[in-house]
Amino acid sequence: MVHLTGEEKSAVTALWGKVNVEEVGGEALGRLLVVYPWTQRFFESFGDLSTADAVMKNPNVKKHGQKVLASFSEGLKHLDDLKGTFAALSELHCDKLHVDPENFRLLGNVLVVVLARHFGKEFTPELQSAYQKVVAGVATALAHKYH
Amino acid sequence: MLSAQERAQVAQVWDLIAGHEAPFGAELLLRLFTVYPSTKTYFKHLGDRPDEVQLLSHGQRVLEAVGVAVRHMDNLRAALSPLADLHAHVLRVDPTNFPLLIQCFQVVLASHLQGEFTVEMQVVWDKFLTGLAVVLTEKYR
Repeated sequence: MVHLTGEEKSAVTALWGKVNVEEVGGEALGRLLVVYPWTQRFFESFGDLSTADAVMKNPNVKKHGQKVLASFSEGLKHLDDLKGTFAALSELHCDKLHVDPENFRLLGNVLVVVLARHFGKEFTPELQSAYQKVVAGVATALAHKYH
Repeated sequence: MLSAQERAQVAQVWDLIAGHEAPFGAELLLRLFTVYPSTKTYFKHLGDRPDEVQLLSHGQRVLEAVGVAVRHMDNLRAALSPLADLHAHVLRVDPTNFPLLIQCFQVVLASHLQGEFTVEMQVVWDKFLTGLAVVLTEKYR
């Protein structure tokens, strides 16, 4: 459950409306794999990840980043029930994918940096604060079903 | 450990910040306090809502220390020894707070450099700042 004020929710939604979900997804996942290279452990079948350039241009990274961000987008419509929204995905990441939930926090932080990059001054401290709460909420929801 | 190329990349980004330590530092602290309010517990002397003058003054101090680190990347422990002592014996900032500051640092860099903020800059500065935090907390026990 994320505790955003009405104002924060509007600001989050308004900014998200301007996000190119396809592009930002690939960029966020790519930057995660470069800045925290140990995260590549989950993507050994993705092909060439040997250089920063290879990662950022890798079509599998872009495609998967898009998928991840589409899911995140969906979550933004259900900020009052993130645990419910991500329950199935949580089980998947625990039981099948075996992903340490710390990775969700890392990706969330990278996404915030990518948003800052795209929106510049518009990405105010208040907006950053709201988004950090959202990504933390999503990360918690994705970890919720772990056992 | 930073390679020669990484050190060059750190210095390249620092060139964009140098001369603007105060406003950069002020924005860094403002973001830190806004996004992670618990960090304000280390800055009681600035009050509950630090004003611009205070943020600029303290922000400059923080960024100037980063500048020292940039100029002594091959000898961080010696260069930052007094600051490491300060953090270990006086400030005693819990080590979990440094990643929060680093996240805000990346956001300030990204929001100002935008199209110029390459992934190479992001990884190198994350590595550099994380190393800096290690040095600052090394004498804790």
